[in-house]
Amino acid sequence: MKRFSISPPVAALLLAVILFVLSGLLPNGYGSDLDIARAQALNILRLAVFLGVIAAGQTLVIISGSEGIDLSSGSIVTLTAIATYVIVNGADERVLPALLVSLLIGAFIGFLNGAGITFLKISPFVMTLGMSGVVTGAIIIANHGNVSGKVAPIMTRLIARPLSPEFPIPNALIIWLVFGILMWLLLERTTFGKNLFAIGTNRVTAKLSGVNVTAMNLAAYSLAGALAGFGGFLVVGNTGVVMIQLGQPFLFPSIAAVAVGGTLLSGGKGSYWGTMAGAIVLTLITSLLTTMQMPDSVRRMVLGGTLLILISIYGRQRSLRQ
Amino acid sequence: MTLSLSARNVVKRYGGVVALSDGSLDVNAGEVVALIGANGSGKSTMSKVINGVVVLDGGQLLIDGKPAHFPSPQAAKALGIATVFQELSLIPQMTVADNVWLTREPLGAGGIVSRKMVNARTEELLALFAGTFKTDLRPDLPVSELPPDEKQIVEILKAISVDPSILILDEATASLDSRQVQRLFELVNKWKATGQAIVFVSHRMEEIFRIADRFSVLRNGKTVGAGMIKDITEKDLVKLMVDKASVFSFARKSGQKDEKPVCLEVSELQTRTLRGVSFNVREGELVGIGGLQGQGQRDLLLSLFGDIPFAGNVQYNGEPVHFRHPRQAMKNGFALVPGDRAREGLLYIRSILENMQLPSWMRYGFPLKIGKAKKDAEQTGASLNLKMASLMEPVSSLSGGNAQKVVIGKWLMRQPGLLLLDDPTKGVDVGTKAEFYALLTQLCDEGKTILFYSSDDEELIGLCDRVLVLHDGHIKTELVGAALTKENLVSASLGVAEGDEQ
Amino acid sequence: MKRFRMNSLLTRRPALFALILLVLALIINFILQPNLFAGDTLNSNMRVFLPIILLAAGQAVVILGGGIDISVGGIVSIVNTILAARVGLEGSTEAMWQYVGISLLVGALAGAINGFFVAYLRLQPIITTYATSFLYAGFALFILPNPGGGIPASIAELYRNTSPLGLPLAFFVIAIVLGLWWYIQSTRYGNYLFAVGGKAQAAYETAVPVTAVQFSTYVISGLMAAFSGIAITMLSGSGNADIGSAMTLNSITAVVIGGTALSGGVGGVAGPVMGAITLGLIQNIVSFAHIDTWWETLVKATIIVFALAMPGIINLFRRRE
Repeated sequence: MKRFSISPPVAALLLAVILFVLSGLLPNGYGSDLDIARAQALNILRLAVFLGVIAAGQTLVIISGSEGIDLSSGSIVTLTAIATYVIVNGADERVLPALLVSLLIGAFIGFLNGAGITFLKISPFVMTLGMSGVVTGAIIIANHGNVSGKVAPIMTRLIARPLSPEFPIPNALIIWLVFGILMWLLLERTTFGKNLFAIGTNRVTAKLSGVNVTAMNLAAYSLAGALAGFGGFLVVGNTGVVMIQLGQPFLFPSIAAVAVGGTLLSGGKGSYWGTMAGAIVLTLITSLLTTMQMPDSVRRMVLGGTLLILISIYGRQRSLRQ
Repeated sequence: MTLSLSARNVVKRYGGVVALSDGSLDVNAGEVVALIGANGSGKSTMSKVINGVVVLDGGQLLIDGKPAHFPSPQAAKALGIATVFQELSLIPQMTVADNVWLTREPLGAGGIVSRKMVNARTEELLALFAGTFKTDLRPDLPVSELPPDEKQIVEILKAISVDPSILILDEATASLDSRQVQRLFELVNKWKATGQAIVFVSHRMEEIFRIADRFSVLRNGKTVGAGMIKDITEKDLVKLMVDKASVFSFARKSGQKDEKPVCLEVSELQTRTLRGVSFNVREGELVGIGGLQGQGQRDLLLSLFGDIPFAGNVQYNGEPVHFRHPRQAMKNGFALVPGDRAREGLLYIRSILENMQLPSWMRYGFPLKIGKAKKDAEQTGASLNLKMASLMEPVSSLSGGNAQKVVIGKWLMRQPGLLLLDDPTKGVDVGTKAEFYALLTQLCDEGKTILFYSSDDEELIGLCDRVLVLHDGHIKTELVGAALTKENLVSASLGVAEGDEQ
Repeated sequence: MKRFRMNSLLTRRPALFALILLVLALIINFILQPNLFAGDTLNSNMRVFLPIILLAAGQAVVILGGGIDISVGGIVSIVNTILAARVGLEGSTEAMWQYVGISLLVGALAGAINGFFVAYLRLQPIITTYATSFLYAGFALFILPNPGGGIPASIAELYRNTSPLGLPLAFFVIAIVLGLWWYIQSTRYGNYLFAVGGKAQAAYETAVPVTAVQFSTYVISGLMAAFSGIAITMLSGSGNADIGSAMTLNSITAVVIGGTALSGGVGGVAGPVMGAITLGLIQNIVSFAHIDTWWETLVKATIIVFALAMPGIINLFRRRE
């Protein structure tokens, strides 16, 4: 297959731009109205933030290799959203504790994932799929008493609103940018990050070079869970309501976003910038389909097909016959 | 059916690596041709081109003089070409019988495999090697439960079960004991008489001269010589295999090591393959580990490094140590250069910098001072004469020798006190080998201790102060000074005469 | 010595473990529901279990061959929506059989698509069939955006009441499936399957047609998923695009309980069939154990995770020895 000479995150951004231009040409699109175009662009970016944050944990586990993936992140988002909702209950001073609880819940579930994968040698797909069922069970229990809660004003202010009238940049976008820089630091400027890429590339070499593969694996999945928890916190801060299916729609797109961004699904190579670009692309696709008034079924088929095309390009394994 | 096959000017690339640049081979009915070459010369690749497992990038194949093309292993098999693969082509979970007859199972009614016939025919084949098995080898045993020599015999039986016109034996004697090798050669002579052609891929001189009629020598992917065995001597054959007459014009002055203190004491070390190994090493010594493959050399190095569990006592610099993870070993100044560079020593898709700093990132603070890391790596790379485009290039862009330098550099950066080397010059070109020997000697002069396993006897003799020869999980002998000769090394490797076993 | 024999026995006959579990589940279920073996209950239970049994059988074949099929649930949904939407409650028996035939073709086609990407393009099975699962689930939703439609009541009646020789129809179906499997694994193809799943590279060097074998396992899985979809439509009598979504994980769990390792090359189909029945019995047990409805989902999901963890836990103990 032809090798792409532009780096995947850049390619993804280019794709995003093309898609955005296309969306303008549609009947319901912004046409030649630049103001509307700018507003729509900012809105897309703002929507992409949530997918992007939720896809951060996914990026980590996929980089960690050995068919790493986290199918429980969707349900973690929902659970932590509910937890935040209930804990905060409208009080500003309870926002920070709620955030901590979200991170802890996510980290705990992630740790269980990591433990099953590392010690019981269950494949990540199967383990996290099973775990998502358990978390869903927990959600039903948490939900049955008709959850009462409310987000705090400060959350809405910081997450759902723009910075100020003069700078109509959504706050969420700023949070995402800072988050992105932190993720970059984590992956490229810490021992943890270097070790993560190492175990994703070759676990034997990593161990023989002193990396504690077990600890890294547990840490990667725990961190992924915590980041999903952070995602849940943000999502509920944005929407202000909780539903049982709150997090599930993010799951498949989060994996596609990572793949679009150029992170190898086999591990050992990738970046969060790529995932960010991928999240924007995927949000654009969804938004395009909505503008074209396509039903949910078409959206699903397009997403499934997109991932299929992506792995056909990026994911081909060594042929039996060389 | 007899067949003759010729390979002419074959070219084969794996990605960026050229395995064969100009390989040729003539295989004629009723004779044994030895395909000879050092590790990495392209022998296995040549046999994989002939049997259709890989597709050639250049050159041609001729069958009975006519150009031929194998789109798949099935095509070659259909013509009657069978192979005993170096990396056995057996399915571990399946039984001996199922493995032998795979794709050629005798069928009964309705396409159902006839178990009776399968077992009966397998017994017939096993009978060919009767009397050479140490255990009860039955057709219904899963292959995973067999010892290495019996696995190899099953692989051989599988190949001959198709009654091939051309039989390729790729390092087929690696795991066999002398009785089994003898039996195999008896069978080979019988097959020759019936018109089969046999390709004997090996680097074991003694066996080659016993069984082969003709030879063809590969060196670094090129065929450099061919002819009749009776017309050549072992020494000349070796000369063809290597660039220079002998790599070992390397003279190592044996320093006085007796006054140096003992730094490593190993007593009764046991692992799955080691049955109680005890020895001492003095500071600054270059101690070699010899013996046939698979006698526990790897286990010895890995257990000392903390990668595999072991029983026994180890003392380093007077302190008892028992590492349970390489990290602990590293903290005590140990370093391990593993045997399979691609699978154990490198992160192929990552940069040279990342490879060299993999064990050492925590030295660079938070956030990582990449600039300093680059400088340190460059320094080490320069001291090793590492030829690279830049530190940020992936390690896959380097040649074999340079890649091995990265592996060594990774450890040298940490100033280790004890280096454990597992066959470090395998697949490395001659020029780099010479650099290595100089490097190792220099390290010893600086007071570092080296424990060094090599499958190359010449290397062991030329470089080491002493050599511990492992056989059957024990140290058979320790060879020092005048006793360190090739003959002594080889005979110790084979264990003393068979009757001498406990 | 005794423990060693047990260990090696379990390795040689993985289905034995599944049998033990099945018997255990039967006993517990019987205690909670004494009329378990009565004609009507047995019949009704087997009808409920049949879809998963069929799915597990197909999944077992793919897994034996070294792959996995995450899209089976989606294929079940497609078949269900096709039947419910195109035949409908007022449909004729001919239309029913016609669409049953079409469903089988669709299942095989879906499997062939999977097989193409995995075997010929050499993509990773998990992520590929995960992607197609979304594709197929979306397609099912496309056919039937809202739950509804159905199959003629007469056919559902027929399915409910057919008891050849007094035994549930499902028994005969299972017998046919097991019979087919017994035949397949005693042919050359059976050996190919185990070889490809055991060590594909070695199989390739032995001139086994690896790609074709892998491709065929996905077609078989797709076909079995189609059968499963037909069975579940006969059971529920109506259409729901979401009907298959939970079934995928169950089919994988059934295979794991059945002793067929997810790594491939070991096991068979009989074990997973037993595993599927065991799973069904466990669901029954949970329902009968009078657990709060709210807790049911959590309990069932936790049991599934434990079932999936079982081989790993067993291995942990083995390694300690």
